[in-house]
Parts: sequence; structure tokens; C-alpha cells
Amino acid sequence: MPKEALLIRTLVELADSLVDDFDVVELLSLLADRCVEVLGVSAAGVMLAAPEGDLRVVASSSEAMRVLELFELQSDEGPCLDCYRSGEAVLLDEDLAAVEGRWPRFAPVAVQAGFRSAHALPMHLRGSVIGALNLFAPHRGALSADDVAAGQALADVATIAILQQRVAAESRVLIDQLNTALNSRVVIEQAKGVLAERSGLSMESAFEAMRHYARNRNLRLADVARSVIDRTLAPGALSAARPRRPS
Amino acid sequence: MAGARLLHILGRLAAGAATGPGPARLCEVCAEVTAMTGAGIMLMSGDVARGSVCSSNPVSALIEDLQYTLGEGPCVDAYRQDRPVLEPDLAEPGVSRWVAFTPRAVEAGARAVFGFPLRVGAISIGALNLYRDHPGPLDDDQHADALVLAGVAARAVLAMQAEAPPGMLGAALEAGSDFRFVVHQAAGMVSAQLEASVGEALIRLRAHAFALDRPLAAVAEDVVARRLRFSDTPAPGQIGPGDHPT
Repeated sequence: MPKEALLIRTLVELADSLVDDFDVVELLSLLADRCVEVLGVSAAGVMLAAPEGDLRVVASSSEAMRVLELFELQSDEGPCLDCYRSGEAVLLDEDLAAVEGRWPRFAPVAVQAGFRSAHALPMHLRGSVIGALNLFAPHRGALSADDVAAGQALADVATIAILQQRVAAESRVLIDQLNTALNSRVVIEQAKGVLAERSGLSMESAFEAMRHYARNRNLRLADVARSVIDRTLAPGALSAARPRRPS
Repeated sequence: MAGARLLHILGRLAAGAATGPGPARLCEVCAEVTAMTGAGIMLMSGDVARGSVCSSNPVSALIEDLQYTLGEGPCVDAYRQDRPVLEPDLAEPGVSRWVAFTPRAVEAGARAVFGFPLRVGAISIGALNLYRDHPGPLDDDQHADALVLAGVAARAVLAMQAEAPPGMLGAALEAGSDFRFVVHQAAGMVSAQLEASVGEALIRLRAHAFALDRPLAAVAEDVVARRLRFSDTPAPGQIGPGDHPT
């Protein structure tokens, strides 16, 4: 199958798996397998950052690749880690055997496993990096610009797919959080208006007065705002609590 | 093929992945993919419009604003009825509905409007609004795209909330969306002016906006800037001569 058609098939397969409830690991394994077909590499793997921030091997196109990726994490050096830490693609032009200065523990093991080139593409999400796509080949040499672009497109779609799946799994909680955040915000804005009218304060000063009052008494801002709205807290009490301006 | 559709949409969103698909990009993609004149996303909860996540052009913004002010329109219906609401000819509608919304939307240049609920699982969090400057139905492709887009958009909105600290709005929503907080500030001020509840104050604000054919947020801005005060004398909807700035 020509490269273009393979790439499209992969993207469609990835997208199809999104329609139903899909398994992220399954999706990323598919991504790794297709990278091998599409990008002219012999092995591919995906590492994702755990919530604590450390990388985990999530998918690999072969067992040898998985072992090498685990070694990379253990030895705390290698293209994937460099990519994850810098957020930039790591595209190695040189022979892996010639970069032992850069990765003294990882490079010899990778060469021993039969690889002479290693690349990593970042999985970006809103300015942060959530993981990296690793690409390994038995011959030295750079990825073509087309392969880099195709690999990055696969990594980007996988990133959005992961995000969409995570969100769907937590949707009830997130909807509640969104509504709670909007409700408390609305109450705070209403209370600002009540205070602004009763005390002649600007919206900003009204907010500062409520915040100051809440902090001093260790109350939640939204609760203070509710008291202002239902008139159980007099505007005078808040004005008295305001920090004095230098006269 | 559903997968191909989703691929196309995710690919468009992924094109902005370096900065993250913020609210504005979301609406652009919705309008581009369906080849509509404009798109907007409204957030709703408990039967009430909460604000606009994004709108792709000023007419889309107005379509959202009208629905927010008037409480009726394709998004409101799509959300409440939990199904797509299609009006392919807004100037000559088959069914007469949205008596306040329709003439204003037509005047602004909308000739066909479509609303799709923003559903995640069984829950709807708002609606996607598409409009076109000439009449005509959605074709099957556009309809199918809109359904997928509404699902992707719903998840994308929640994704923007995902990393927010407890009780706070997500940073991308806070920065890129318009929840009309000024309306709630004004409701607080008017409640103090009238010695009434904020709920009543909001009704008075809406009545005023409707009577003068102004956006609710614009009326609210006048209140907050202290250019407009409400007094006890006029009943809701009746506007005293001193009630509005010249």
C-alpha cells in the first residue's frame, strides 16, 4: 500500500476507535504498529506522562522495543526523555553507535538491540508535553521531512484522542465541576453588584472587600457572597474589614 | 463513514494543538467543516443559558446574544428538547416559532439556523449553533458532520475545565469565553436599588432589554457604569422616561 494511503488508513482506524468507548492502550498500540508501516522505521513506542509527571511505556510495536523503552526510563536518558523534557522533536542524524557521549548507558544497549537510529516526537497538549512517540530503525539516518510531518500528525491526533477519551470517562464529574464553578462565580458577581450599589464601591473594590473578609475569617468567598446577597452580612461589616489605604 | 468524519475534525483541531484547541478555534472548525457562514457554542444548564463559549463571527455572536437575552432560539430548543433543531428558511419558516428571536436574526443576516445539543454521554451541556446567510437545508454530510462536531465540542469544552482548581473555571474558558458576568453584577446592583431578590432584578433587566431591543449585556453595562438605575415605580416591562440614558 502506498505511504499516503497507509497514513490515511491509520488515521481513520484511530478515529474509528474513538466512536465507541475505546481503550487508550489499544489505540496507542495501533498507533505504534502503524508508525512502523507508514514511517519506514522498524520499531515504535509511545510513552505517556503519569499524573505524577514521570513517563510510562504505554505501547510498543514489539517486545524488544518495550524492553528498550523500559531500559531508557530506568537509565533516565535517551531520545524519548530528551524529547519529553525539552518538548522538542529529537531527530538523530548520526549513528547511535557514535552518540555514547550523549547517552552513555542507553546508546550501547540500543545498538546491541539492533538499532542504529532513534527519534522521538513530542505529544503536545496546551503548551505542556503529555508524552512522546519513539521511532527506532536498524540503519543510521535522518527521518525525511515528510516522515517527520506524518509522524507528528499521528502524534497530534493521538493526543487529542487521548484527551477526548479522558474527558468522556470523567464527564459527569467535569460537568458538575463546571456548573459549580459557574454557579459560585455568578453568586460572587451578584454580590459584587449588591456591594457596589450599597457602598458606592467599584466592582474591583467590592471584590477585594469580600475576599479580604473571607480570608480573615477563613470563609469561602462564595459563602460570603451568598451572605451579602441574602442580606445576612451588612455592607458595613465588609467595609470595616477592608485594608486601610495609606492616607 | 463516522471514523473519516471524526478524523477530519480531530485533524483540524490537532492543527492548532501547539497552543491547544481553545474556544475560538473550536468555533472556527465547526464553521469550516460544515461550510456554514458562522458557528457558535452556547453553554446551558438547568434550562438557563450560561454564556457563549465561542462564536466565529459577529453575526454568530449576535445569534447567541439574542438567545441569551430572549431565552428562545435554535440553541435553546436543541438543548431543551435534546435533539437537532433545524430551520432552513428563517425568513419564511414552515413553522412559526421564536417570535422575538427570528426577526432580529433575519435582520442581522441569518437566513438558515441549526442547533445541535452538546451531548456528552446522556447529558447535554449546551448547544452548537450553525447559521448560513442564505436559506436551504443541511445536506446529509453537513448534518452528520454537525452531529460529530457537537460531540467533539462538548468534550473539548469539558477538557478546558479539566485542569481547573476546585471551584474555578478552566483558564481557557475564563480567557476565551463570555459568560456575561456583567449581567450578574448588574442584577446585584438592581436588586439593591429595588430592595428585591437578584432573581427579580434579573427579570427586570431582561424586560428592559427586551422592551428597548437591546442586548442584555449592554443594558447591564449601563447599570454597572451607573448610567442606568432602576426605581420601584415602573412595573416590569414599563420603562420610565428617566430609566434609560439618552
